[in-house]
Amino acid sequence: MLEIIKPGLETSIQDFPGRIGYWNQGFPPSGPMDSWSFRLANILVGNDAGAAGLEAQFMGPTIKFQSGVVIAVTGANMAPKLDGEEIPMWESVAVTAGQTLVMGPALKGARGYFAVAGGIDAPEWLGSASTFHKASVGGLDGNAIQAGQVLPVKAGAGEAGRRVKEACRPHFATDKKWQIEAVAGPNDDWIDEAGHAQFLATEWKLEARSDRTGYRLDGPDWTFTEKATDKPPENGEFPSNIVDQGYPMGGINLCGQKPIILVNDGPSMGGFIVPYTVPSAAFWKLGQIKPNEFLCFSRVGVGEAQALRIELDDMCGENSIES
Amino acid sequence: MIFDEPKFSPGGDRYITVEFGNEMNLELNFMAQGLAGALDEAGTKGLVETAPCFATLLVHYEPRQISYDDMVKELKSLSDSLGSSDEIEMDSRLFTFETLYLDPWTRECIDDYREKLNPDKEYDPDFVARLNGLEDRHQLVRVHSGTEYWVASLGFWPGLPFLQPLDPRAMITCPKYNPPRTWTPQGTVAMGGSASAIYPVATPGGYQLFGRTPVPVWDTTKRFDVFHGEIVLFRPGDRIKFQPVSREVYDDAERKIEDGSYIYNIIEYQKFSVHNYKQWIAKLDTSERF
Repeated sequence: MLEIIKPGLETSIQDFPGRIGYWNQGFPPSGPMDSWSFRLANILVGNDAGAAGLEAQFMGPTIKFQSGVVIAVTGANMAPKLDGEEIPMWESVAVTAGQTLVMGPALKGARGYFAVAGGIDAPEWLGSASTFHKASVGGLDGNAIQAGQVLPVKAGAGEAGRRVKEACRPHFATDKKWQIEAVAGPNDDWIDEAGHAQFLATEWKLEARSDRTGYRLDGPDWTFTEKATDKPPENGEFPSNIVDQGYPMGGINLCGQKPIILVNDGPSMGGFIVPYTVPSAAFWKLGQIKPNEFLCFSRVGVGEAQALRIELDDMCGENSIES
Repeated sequence: MIFDEPKFSPGGDRYITVEFGNEMNLELNFMAQGLAGALDEAGTKGLVETAPCFATLLVHYEPRQISYDDMVKELKSLSDSLGSSDEIEMDSRLFTFETLYLDPWTRECIDDYREKLNPDKEYDPDFVARLNGLEDRHQLVRVHSGTEYWVASLGFWPGLPFLQPLDPRAMITCPKYNPPRTWTPQGTVAMGGSASAIYPVATPGGYQLFGRTPVPVWDTTKRFDVFHGEIVLFRPGDRIKFQPVSREVYDDAERKIEDGSYIYNIIEYQKFSVHNYKQWIAKLDTSERF
């Protein structure tokens, strides 16, 4: 059992891959934004890669352990301390009943992950424990965790001293500039050549008003092809309006002139074009960017994006562990 | 227009958008839902899920199991084998909802919007009636409640149905709020563009408001069996009828919902035949209004 002393800024129960199969009801998948760090935390403590753990945004929680367990902390560096002593990240650690873990502000990266051997025992809502708090679905009670809550833990036998190999850890940008892959489409033919060139040449600033539903990017205006202006009126009045369509997760959605990347808790459909889509293998980077840092997009093909996904999946397993 | 051939575009590494046309036309949604049904039935390898929208179908697949090119081939061949949308027949449940049109709660919401955001905003039912050449708000109620609605897709908020009128004589259109509202009462019946919707919970929104139903279309507490263990009531391809009722009937339904004794009015035996539907609308004089 994990007693939440302080919840942090917004700490939520998530599992991987989340709530899949309900997009046509309007439910997003939710799940951890940086699933690379999340999955490795689970592997470290001997869980399935997708078991329920915690995602902490910007500021981590303080957790008191009511029983001895094995834990792991990965993702953003929140300088985790156990009873005041720093503990290593990317390594499984044994804790005893009565000890307290403090995860502080994110010094590097944006989202920290916490896994416990056995996994957090949260009820499944539509097949997933992932929290989608905008709609009060998932987690223990539909919301981010609160001070005073006690999170039950499933039985599990972890082993301390397992480490993620250095080469298998994500490396965060050190100059506040993140190189993000983007696949053109589905609506890339609404943007003219100059618009595409500008998208790829711009350093887009992540706005503070960004969260797990969407990442708002600050940058120049877009330019369009005839498709955007010469269209039936039910498409809507703005050049970027289109007859409501289903959105791919990761879609860079052009809301008027404002690009918004639709992330884990994003909407399933809407009436704006999606000229580019961030592929799944680049999502971990979105999870670790802080507001006011920059995104630089590089165009990749579908095949390349799929190869990256498979490479990343393969990295989130036992092969990445050393003792 | 309706495209001669559907257009396939990638959405990153695991989605494909299938575009059937670029207008708001039920025919396109039938094609999207028809292909979604055919994919489910075919048990296509690597298929994760589909989401139909008005003129498009979003396909989510697992690239470890099937490549983009192979999935597009599958989609093309399935789409070709479907032939004309006339052959599409699908199970379609019909829901009837007690609806209090011109209700006090959406009135209060509109008044609040006028006070805080836009003093010039005309009362929504009058505005929509005027724009569509209807006599008054009471004719708007007659027209809006005079048709079954087709659940074209769900989205914006989980469980929020995007509805198109099946009877073309009930087709009305209106713009969305600008700027949008910060709140809308749960159960509000509203429309924007040519789509109607029911707000599953209280959320911000942009549609024009003119009625409210007490019947939940969203339930995280699992109080009603008709949800079959899910949180949202509808599926694409369902139909909805708004039944205008008095305040007394509305209050009575609300009481029964609160104590759990409410019985949902659902008809579950019907199939929707696109062929029969098209034959029927071909016979109508669409210049008529109710």
